Amino acid sequence: MVKRRRDLTVMQQLARGPIDIPFLMLVVILTAIGVIAVFSASYPTAMQEGLDPANYFIKQAGFGVVGLIAMFLISKINYQTFRGLSIFVLGISIILLVLVIPFGYGKSTVGAQRWISLPIIGGFQPSEIAKVGVIMYFAARLSKRNTEKHKRLPPRHPLSGLYAWLDEKGVLEPIPYFLILGLVAILMLMEPHMSGTILVLVGGASVLFAAGIKLYWFIGGGAAAAAGLFFIMTQTSYMATRLAIWKDPWNDGMNGRDKGFQIIQSLYAIGSGGLLGVGFGKSRQKFLYLPESENDYIFSIWCEEMGFVGAAIVILLFILLVIRGYWIAVHARDRFGALLVVGITTLTAVQVFLNIAVVTNLIPSTGISLPFFSYGGTALMIQLAEMGMVLSVSRQIPAPKQE
Amino acid sequence: MAEKRKKGTRIIRQKPDRRANRTILIRSLFLMVLFGLVVFIPLFFKLWQIQISQHDYYQELAVQQQTRDSTVTANRGTIYDSQGAVLAMSATVYNVQLSPKDLLETQETYREKVEDAQENGGTLPDYPEPTDQFVAENLASILNLEVEDVMKHLENKNSQYEIIKYRVEPEESEAVQEFITENHLSHGIYLMPTSKRYYPKGSLAAHVVGWVNPNTDNVGAYGLEAQFEEELSGQTGRVVTAKDGVGTELLYRFEDYYDATDGNNLTLTIDATIQSYCESILQEGVEQFDIQDGAFCLVMDPNTGAILGWANSPTFDLNDPWTVSDPVLLQYLEDIKSGGYTKEEAYTKALAEGATAQEAYDAAVQEAEKEVLYSQWANKAVTSSYEPGSTFKSIVLAAALEEGVISESDHFYCSGVAQVDGWNGDPIRCSKRDGHGDQDLAKAVANSCNPAFIEIGKRLGAEKFYDYLEDFGFLEKTGIDMQGETTGVIWSRDDFTNVDLAVASFGQRFQVTPLQLITAASAVVNGGHLMQPYVVSQITDADGNVLQHTEPTEVRQVISEQTSERCRAILEKVVDGGTGKNAAVEGYRIGGKTGSSQTLKGDDHTIVSFLGFAPADDPQVVILLAYDSPKPVSPGSNYTADNWYISGGNMAALKAGELMEKILDYLGVEKSYSATADVMVPNLTGLNLADATTSLKKNNLSIRVVGDGDTVTGQIPAKGASIPGGSEVVVYMGAEVPTDQVQVPSVIGLNVEQAKAKLSAQGLYLKASGASEFGSTVVAYEQSTPAGTSVDRGTTIEVRFTDSTASGAGL
Repeated sequence: MVKRRRDLTVMQQLARGPIDIPFLMLVVILTAIGVIAVFSASYPTAMQEGLDPANYFIKQAGFGVVGLIAMFLISKINYQTFRGLSIFVLGISIILLVLVIPFGYGKSTVGAQRWISLPIIGGFQPSEIAKVGVIMYFAARLSKRNTEKHKRLPPRHPLSGLYAWLDEKGVLEPIPYFLILGLVAILMLMEPHMSGTILVLVGGASVLFAAGIKLYWFIGGGAAAAAGLFFIMTQTSYMATRLAIWKDPWNDGMNGRDKGFQIIQSLYAIGSGGLLGVGFGKSRQKFLYLPESENDYIFSIWCEEMGFVGAAIVILLFILLVIRGYWIAVHARDRFGALLVVGITTLTAVQVFLNIAVVTNLIPSTGISLPFFSYGGTALMIQLAEMGMVLSVSRQIPAPKQE
Repeated sequence: MAEKRKKGTRIIRQKPDRRANRTILIRSLFLMVLFGLVVFIPLFFKLWQIQISQHDYYQELAVQQQTRDSTVTANRGTIYDSQGAVLAMSATVYNVQLSPKDLLETQETYREKVEDAQENGGTLPDYPEPTDQFVAENLASILNLEVEDVMKHLENKNSQYEIIKYRVEPEESEAVQEFITENHLSHGIYLMPTSKRYYPKGSLAAHVVGWVNPNTDNVGAYGLEAQFEEELSGQTGRVVTAKDGVGTELLYRFEDYYDATDGNNLTLTIDATIQSYCESILQEGVEQFDIQDGAFCLVMDPNTGAILGWANSPTFDLNDPWTVSDPVLLQYLEDIKSGGYTKEEAYTKALAEGATAQEAYDAAVQEAEKEVLYSQWANKAVTSSYEPGSTFKSIVLAAALEEGVISESDHFYCSGVAQVDGWNGDPIRCSKRDGHGDQDLAKAVANSCNPAFIEIGKRLGAEKFYDYLEDFGFLEKTGIDMQGETTGVIWSRDDFTNVDLAVASFGQRFQVTPLQLITAASAVVNGGHLMQPYVVSQITDADGNVLQHTEPTEVRQVISEQTSERCRAILEKVVDGGTGKNAAVEGYRIGGKTGSSQTLKGDDHTIVSFLGFAPADDPQVVILLAYDSPKPVSPGSNYTADNWYISGGNMAALKAGELMEKILDYLGVEKSYSATADVMVPNLTGLNLADATTSLKKNNLSIRVVGDGDTVTGQIPAKGASIPGGSEVVVYMGAEVPTDQVQVPSVIGLNVEQAKAKLSAQGLYLKASGASEFGSTVVAYEQSTPAGTSVDRGTTIEVRFTDSTASGAGL
């Protein structure tokens, strides 16, 4: 029995608002292209492993369909529910990040324990949950920052004056967030999972930034990050070699057969594509030349097969998705919705940027997958779930006033 | 308190919602610009750079690693003789290739099988474990290689391409195949097809055909194989196959196949049969006359310039050009090794460079071996020149007749010595020391009289003489389609003095190539047309389409038809009773000119030659046969150890006659019969006496009747037999035909009459050849059926006669 509209609460009515069609379409298109790209890029790997050539494709397509359905269902949820859920999501993700240390497993290709296996859900990376958890929690809390009670030290406390002053200047406000971010980051670095850490930090930072945390934090943070990065790059041998390979992939001591191999193969693939590509399905680099060709480096194969034009179209679709995401954010009914969408959108944008920047050797390599494209069922599901949250926010955008 | 704090908070810290929203709006828009646009711009630049600007660079590198580019050898063209017999062909043979990498996997498979069998109680493999050692030992023994060498190849564990032996013979490749099959090594040992050049006729026309060097990828090294390399080799094809990152070929993604274009085929003007005649004549002559420095023989169709036969001695087997098989050369090498001669220059040079005596000896031997190889490969008839000697008189004759300075009615007196203005050396002597006396032109030519020719040369004059040297093509290459043609060594026009003219008139003190000489001689007898000689008549592609057909090319007309005809008539007399009489063949009209010429090597080095043509009235072939340096029995002697007088007339003409006969028979030139010419015995069986007699008479045969029946029941010789004209045919009329055989007697050393009588006593017939006049000095030196052989009655025995008194240098 369907409830009649007037029986619904205001909130319920809002949650039944029209979904944002452009955003939905972009997600569906990108997912479809991504799954097709997996089909082309993965079958040599599947055959090599003695599997059915379409093995990866079928799995990915299955996750894609289930993920889109999940996305739609999530979009039906009134996103205000996420406010309350956020603390639990964050808490669970932190627990999982702890659990991954003794119980996790890694993929032989990566050499780190980032995966954990749960009954029913299967194997997935807790860091994926952590990203959402951080964004949800930050958005939920920061949306109420104007109404939040400010702690004060007892007036007689020797530092109470200073404390009040710092509080007034906004110095103290972000400290809890930093602590959360720090905890999550440390847990992820223990795996180690550099790229995941970066994404969590970026996601959290974007929410903090949008929420209005004082700009000097970001300037200072940026400066600190730059200094740290500089230190790591110049002072640690691990990063130094990475940097050297970034500058010249052939200079890995084995003429590009060692650490530079993957990026070289990626450049070969992208370069071979030319303007129009070698044609869909006709990539040669996927035939066991380019490692992870169905995963982190799937975009290289896409570039090879579809050329500059195909690559540009996909990037444009991502740009439209990101811009539409921010559009939804600025039109969101409330601050929580806005911050949530900003966090998710920024996370997606940064992930896209970093992935493509890595495969084109614009920046030194870090293992970041390409949203909607890279093979990985749970990652795709979580990605689509995030999109579902955005769509959920989009349902409550007030209709433009009729003139 | 709580109330107050709340209030205070509001006052101090609570921002209006609008302001918070505004912050979020502005900052979100900032993020939108940053992450929705700015960060992606460098990506577009980078992609443009990689995909568009550096596309070619990366594509090339990628294709390089993704493809396996293997070549497909084009089949080299076949070389045919004029009758379509194969002289050179390519066949598929195999390179034996090891893949140590694949072999490792095979070994792994074997171990797994063994483990499996041990664990599960299955049967063990029924073949030995394919260890490296096992493979190496077996392959080494099949292919005749060193085990260590094969092991060395096997040590390159990452390699898939270790070729251990190139172009193995079919027996070996079959043995390898068997070994592979028996020991389940098809993953590890491979037979890769490639091509090998075969010369089915071995040494036949070796210098013309030439050979390919298997060590330099089957590229033509000598002869037509080198000259026509581009035509023959074809276009190597390529197969570009895609492979994956671990090297496995992606057959279903097979991308490009560039067909190999097979080489074109050559059809030569050389006729293998004529060629084999030439070669056996050379070989026979070399043995017969103790020839030291080789020999050559050219056969040309004078009407076209097509070369029908082209032989050089020493020769070699094209299938194995590095092996010396010529007995003369082997003897020479043997002599060097035994210290009989030393290779002086190499020896002293090595010594001077501080080598020990042994090393110097080795250097000398090595030098000699090299010399011998070059000597057997040399195509003397085109790459070197010689003094033509008296054979050149045919050219001088033609020039003088054409200019009208002499005629058949002219008489020349020979005192045995000729005076030449400006000549300071010993007087120029005629071959006949006491002179030929008075002789008409034909006789002077037939006598090969030097004083007469000095006179003829004088009448012609240096200027005209030189013009004819030019016109007959002695100053330029003939332009034949053969490798390495040179020209002779001839005075320049300005240096051509009267003395030079005098010696040139009888063919001395200048050099021409044999090919130039035979080309000019062809012009003398073919009606005056100087033809460009050629050996390749046709080039066809692999499908048989004619790509190029050589049309006879006339360079120029040198003398008139009439002059040519007069020359033929005069030159025929050289063979018909002149110095060339040993070349005469019963039934054929042969003309020619003998020659014995000095060489630069010294007194005991004479080139004896014969330049001939037939039939004299309509020449179909011109031959030039020469033997270089018959070995005198002792220094200065005019005789060889076997008592052959060293001269063109006694040696070259003799062999040329044999050769000419074979060639003319082969070409089917009809014999013009004289009274004693061979005739065919008709079938007489069933005829009565009168008819049999008439039938025999018609065939220039006489009859002897045995028995008294009415009809002929048998005859000797049988019908179809060829016997000399005028012979007797025994006709049996009812009487039994004797079927017993008779023994052939020896007739060597007898003159014609004696030989005929001796044979006839046994019921055999004589067929005389060699000399045309059978005086008492003309004796048999060779018979076709050796003495003591049993043959049927009525068999014809061919006997060659030679005039042992024909004499004189310069003939």
